[in-house]
Amino acid sequence: MAEEGATTVGAAEKVIHTYPLIRHSDMTEEMRIEAMELSVTACEKYSQNNELAARMVKESMDKKFGPAFHVVVGESYGFEITYECTTICYMYFGGNQAICIWKCS
Amino acid sequence: MSSASSSDCEDKDTATKSRGNLQDEEGLDWLKPRTLLVPDDQEDVPDADLEEEIGRILTTINPQWVADEVAYHYGQAKFVVKPKPTFGKAYPLYVYQGTAIRKDSDEAKAQIAAGYGKVGFDDAGPKRAKVKKSTTEMEEEEEPEAEPPPQEEVKEEEAPDEEKAKEEGGEDQEGGQADAAADEETEAVADEGAAEEQVPEDAGEAGETHVEEVLEIKPRVKKLANQFNFCERAALTYNFPRRSVDTQTVPPPRANYGATCLQSIIFDFYQEDYARKQREKEEEKPKRLRKKTAKHVKSAQQIHDEQLAQRIREAWTILERLVNQNIYDEIAQDYRYWDDPSDEFREGMGSLLPLWKFQFEPMRSHAVCDVQWNPHYQDLFAVAYGSLDFTQQQKEGCLCLYSIKNPAFPEYSVITDSPIICLDVYKETPYLICIGRYDGNVCVYNAQLTLESSYQYKSDSVRDKHSNIVWEIKWGARMIDGEASFFSISGDGRVVQWAVMPGELQATTIITLHSSVPPIPGPDGTLLTVNSCGSCICFHPEKADIFMVGTEDGMIHTCSLKYNRNYVRSVQGHHMPVYRIHYNNYNNTIYASCSGDWRVKIWEDGRDEPLFMFELGSPVGDVKWAPYSSTVFAACTADGKVYVYDLNVNKYRPICVQAVVSKKTKKLTRVDFNPRLPVIVCGDTKGTCHVVKLSPNLRVMCKPPKKAQVSDQRTLQIMKLDKLLSLVRDPPFQTGVVDEKFDDD
Repeated sequence: MAEEGATTVGAAEKVIHTYPLIRHSDMTEEMRIEAMELSVTACEKYSQNNELAARMVKESMDKKFGPAFHVVVGESYGFEITYECTTICYMYFGGNQAICIWKCS
Repeated sequence: MSSASSSDCEDKDTATKSRGNLQDEEGLDWLKPRTLLVPDDQEDVPDADLEEEIGRILTTINPQWVADEVAYHYGQAKFVVKPKPTFGKAYPLYVYQGTAIRKDSDEAKAQIAAGYGKVGFDDAGPKRAKVKKSTTEMEEEEEPEAEPPPQEEVKEEEAPDEEKAKEEGGEDQEGGQADAAADEETEAVADEGAAEEQVPEDAGEAGETHVEEVLEIKPRVKKLANQFNFCERAALTYNFPRRSVDTQTVPPPRANYGATCLQSIIFDFYQEDYARKQREKEEEKPKRLRKKTAKHVKSAQQIHDEQLAQRIREAWTILERLVNQNIYDEIAQDYRYWDDPSDEFREGMGSLLPLWKFQFEPMRSHAVCDVQWNPHYQDLFAVAYGSLDFTQQQKEGCLCLYSIKNPAFPEYSVITDSPIICLDVYKETPYLICIGRYDGNVCVYNAQLTLESSYQYKSDSVRDKHSNIVWEIKWGARMIDGEASFFSISGDGRVVQWAVMPGELQATTIITLHSSVPPIPGPDGTLLTVNSCGSCICFHPEKADIFMVGTEDGMIHTCSLKYNRNYVRSVQGHHMPVYRIHYNNYNNTIYASCSGDWRVKIWEDGRDEPLFMFELGSPVGDVKWAPYSSTVFAACTADGKVYVYDLNVNKYRPICVQAVVSKKTKKLTRVDFNPRLPVIVCGDTKGTCHVVKLSPNLRVMCKPPKKAQVSDQRTLQIMKLDKLLSLVRDPPFQTGVVDEKFDDD
């Protein structure tokens, strides 16, 4: 698949995508947009420190939507989580980061 | 001290006696003195020893006191006498102001006078029975005691009890004594007032006179309230039985999710998303069309058939053109090269040469509601078929493109489900035509698309369409972000800007035409504001944000896109609906308007009165300035005539009046100048478009003045108009100068 993408796009015009891209989410529209914007802000602010970025997203989400959010920011990881319905958002950002936000208290 | 010891003695004597009484008066046993339990190994002490008084003297002299205490003073290097403390060696750590007062004091007297505590302490007020024995032994026995305690404490309410006690006591005197002893114990500390002392005397007298017991009851006195003088009473209520009720809520639903993210996965997903977005961008076509194409997956045979059909269609088109050219050969020659020779002999008058009539068979009963030459192809014009007969409104309309090369059949035609009232061809891309419909919707048609496809964009019938007929529609300048936009004016009094977004039209209300009519009271006390119905709109040729609006009540408002509440200017232009406002092609301050009140007026910006006014004797459907001359304009009327004026030739009368259609059956609705050819097209109410040629006298060009340098035609035209205007303007404009009813033929 990756090869196909590379061939279709072409080596000359290698497009680097930086926009946030939701991979999986069952949040409400409003919440999802909020989470997305927060993640973008945090990842841009702490581009070198995923831990701080995750902390910022988590704390902001806790403040806005009630506590016990969990946030993972990283470039490669796997997870298997239990979440409260309508509170998960798994998204990519910056072309190389995956952010997983969910709530479970 | 003495009384205490004596009472102890009494206790011992009366310990056994009092038992009986205690049992009798169970309710009051808590008042009874406790009998002391004597341990078995209690040393037997003779009574005399017990009664011995041991005195103790408390003095105020402190034996620890040192009179002259000295201390070493380091500063003076010698012993000095310490200063004497005020309290001697005693240092008060805590001083408490007591509440007890001396009863001799004034304050105590005052309290007593007020009825408080003549005697203290015996709050319980146990019955006080004075038992006097006639026998002397008994008296003697009692004498060591502190004397029969005061009887004033006896309470009235307890009297019956006491009497009973007395009766019992009468039989058993020892019982009575026990009572007395009990009382004495509690009263040992009690104050003894002067009154008390009298009591024993009385009792003594009573004892002498009556052998029986004497019961004296004194009125109850209020007790003195102080911290020693209280009793506690308490009650215990039932405890309510307790029960616990609990419930458990359903926990919020949970779900599991798991995923793995790797650089490759992220990259792939981005690629996928990017590809999807590209695809969406490509699919600019309306969704309906996409669906249609998606539905028909064409087989090879079908494709072949279609290609064949296309080729045949092209062949037929060529054949049709050939046939038409043969049929209309003379006209085709005429329209280019034949000029009416009679023009040379009639100075200042011209004529119109009918060329073709365009009809579309399904639209025979419809009216031509708008007609417009294509700005790019000089032989092409667009026609909007609708209906102006509002009592018998047609159910459908049609948009047709005719070419003068083929008068027999339109090049492009689309039947719509609502009559079309107005249209405008986009100058930048002349295949885009926006239309306004009778039902208030606006659409954009793409003439390049195949015939079976209908509109490319359409306003949302629910959300943002006009609530009345769209009377005129005009393409506007591109918006800031590059989208094409057009403006529509409708009978509902709104001017709406429609931005052509990919796949949809986005409506913005530019202005709501408020009326000068005050709000009308509606049902339930509401006030309905009245909008004036817009009937035409015209944009300033240069200032993109200025536009003029004509209304059905004859007002002409100059508006700006920047203000959505107020008009820049307002002129009462006509007395009937304004059908058309058209700016002069050479001078931006001059515009013409026509109306249902039979008049055509030429206005200058900023002037409240028209420069020229012409009365045509019938409702004027349209007026247009000629593109080739600054002073020529044409108007068409409901009685089927086309009027052509050249203000340079004749300021008062038209230079050509020609009946194009029979006035009995048809009316002329719209007229339009071809931008390059000397022909005009006018539409009538029976679905026919008449293309007529202007004779040479109607299109006189300016000759450059001999002296002046050679200048182009445009400058000359502007000069011509300016000269004419100066003639009209210089003497202050007077109404009625041009108000001359033109006589038919």
